[in-house]
Amino acid sequence: MPAASIKVPLAVKAGVTLAALVSLLGLTEYARFESAYQRQNADPYKVTAQFSRFADVRAAVPATATLGYLSDQPLGGTAGDALFNSAQYVLAPRLLQKDAAENLVLGNFTRQADFAAVGAQSGLHIERNFGNGVVLFRRDGR
Amino acid sequence: MAILWALVAPVLGCLLVYRFSGLKNAHPRWAAWLLVFGAGTCAGVGLASCLFFLMHWAVPGVRVLPMIVEIALLAFAGYEVYRIRTQVRETESTPNVFLLPLAGAAILGLIGATAVMSIVWDANPEGNWDAWSIWNLRARMFTSDGALAQRAWSPVLTGHPEYPLLTSGYIARSWNYAQTPLDNVASAVPIVTSYLFFAALLAMASGGVAALRSRALGLLFGLALLASPNLLAEVPAQYADVPLASFFLGAVVCWLLDEPVLAGVLASLAAWTKDEGLFFLAAFAVFALVFRRARWPRWIAGAIPTTAIVLLIKFGLARGSPSLVGGSSLSKVFAFGRSMQVMAGFVSGFAGMMVDWYHPLLPAIVLAVALRFQNKWKRDVLFPGGISLAMLAGYLGVYLAASNDLSWQLQTSMNRLLVQIWPLLLLTIFMTLRAPESMVTLIEPKQKPVSKRKK
Repeated sequence: MPAASIKVPLAVKAGVTLAALVSLLGLTEYARFESAYQRQNADPYKVTAQFSRFADVRAAVPATATLGYLSDQPLGGTAGDALFNSAQYVLAPRLLQKDAAENLVLGNFTRQADFAAVGAQSGLHIERNFGNGVVLFRRDGR
Repeated sequence: MAILWALVAPVLGCLLVYRFSGLKNAHPRWAAWLLVFGAGTCAGVGLASCLFFLMHWAVPGVRVLPMIVEIALLAFAGYEVYRIRTQVRETESTPNVFLLPLAGAAILGLIGATAVMSIVWDANPEGNWDAWSIWNLRARMFTSDGALAQRAWSPVLTGHPEYPLLTSGYIARSWNYAQTPLDNVASAVPIVTSYLFFAALLAMASGGVAALRSRALGLLFGLALLASPNLLAEVPAQYADVPLASFFLGAVVCWLLDEPVLAGVLASLAAWTKDEGLFFLAAFAVFALVFRRARWPRWIAGAIPTTAIVLLIKFGLARGSPSLVGGSSLSKVFAFGRSMQVMAGFVSGFAGMMVDWYHPLLPAIVLAVALRFQNKWKRDVLFPGGISLAMLAGYLGVYLAASNDLSWQLQTSMNRLLVQIWPLLLLTIFMTLRAPESMVTLIEPKQKPVSKRKK
């Protein structure tokens, strides 16, 4: 005996097909946009690069430490906050505080400068200069 | 090794959901499997995160305790599933003309979406700003041994110590069990975690609508989510918004499928994921009481354990940390200019979901025109719709009362708030549509008349 056939109204067939096609085309459009965007904006805050930049600090400072913070980029701005947050991320579980009041203070600089003079303004001397703008300060007299 | 550990908890969750919920009995069978996978993944990750937090907090010296408990639970769940394995029966399925093409399109869409995400993972392995300044930062604190782990919720931490800990806790747990060294990039677990929640969201969306309304609508719903640019962009961002969206949708779908305990578990895990989840939990409790009072006690029983943990961290451990609504003022809520600014923010956020000519609402509009809406409004349409509106109203209120600069707040968070409730909004639309299968007619072949033979 021949099998029963199925009749689908044209509007339903067209609607379901079109909805699926529109979805796939939308996904394609997004893929085009996102891949172009990522080509130009890969790791915009250079977070990955901070792992090698702070590798020696991780080795030198115990995991239990709480460090102060000093930078040439002011906190509250995008550049300053990105520098601080990415340093905190890489150095965790060490804690960073947003001032230079601790005994040990992390210097995180974007430009070369007289770091000893910068530290001296906050009563600090250089404990160790790791290079690449990364300096560990210690409070004077401790 | 850490990735393997990240996959253990979803397996545990799937086994527990399979054994102790009725989702395995949903029809069709593929929808049942999707539901078990989606709800199981969410519940498993949530359970593992809660266990890790509780044992790290209560017994910080015994590093392997949560791992032992998890393995014991896994063995128990595996045995229980083995014990009941013959009780699930296959049911005969009716032929569906839409099934194969739509399933093919959905698989194609999933492959495409994953390919796009892999480009982002490659370019930004540590995720977007909040991932490395809040969520994964806390995971790096939390994975430490002994008392150091408590820095994840210590008020001295700069990265929002009062935020709930589901994703951070889960990532920390996977690193901790695998002894992952964190002196280099370790982004695999955060990436896997965010993708697991995305897959779970898709599974619960497709499986839920397929079981509740129609197989074709279920697959089309999954496709519509796969083609939502803002949702796709948030997965590799490694924020907690996609996990939150998964819990929102999962809780509602489980409720509609008459699984109140699991709905309660998932709703409370939303509160363990982000602050917005607490509001969802409260809204859900009210709607559940209004719509199905008889189910409410079982829902509460599912919600209580995780809610207790959330309250412990909110009002106990991280007390004193500043919060978004901490400095809010009621007078701001009634400021007309502020209200207009927030409304404009919502409109521009909705319009901003577009990529070039495409808006993710388009597939739903096409289907609404072609299929039209079902005649009767049912509880299972009003329930997700009501919760979505309540969530929108809640977000509006928080924006109005928030102490932060409103323009900055809208600019940095509106997109993510829409990602959180977008699946629920789409679910509401898809639940109102007429099922394509209901418009199909079966034509029986004409029978030849039997000739009468003359004697």
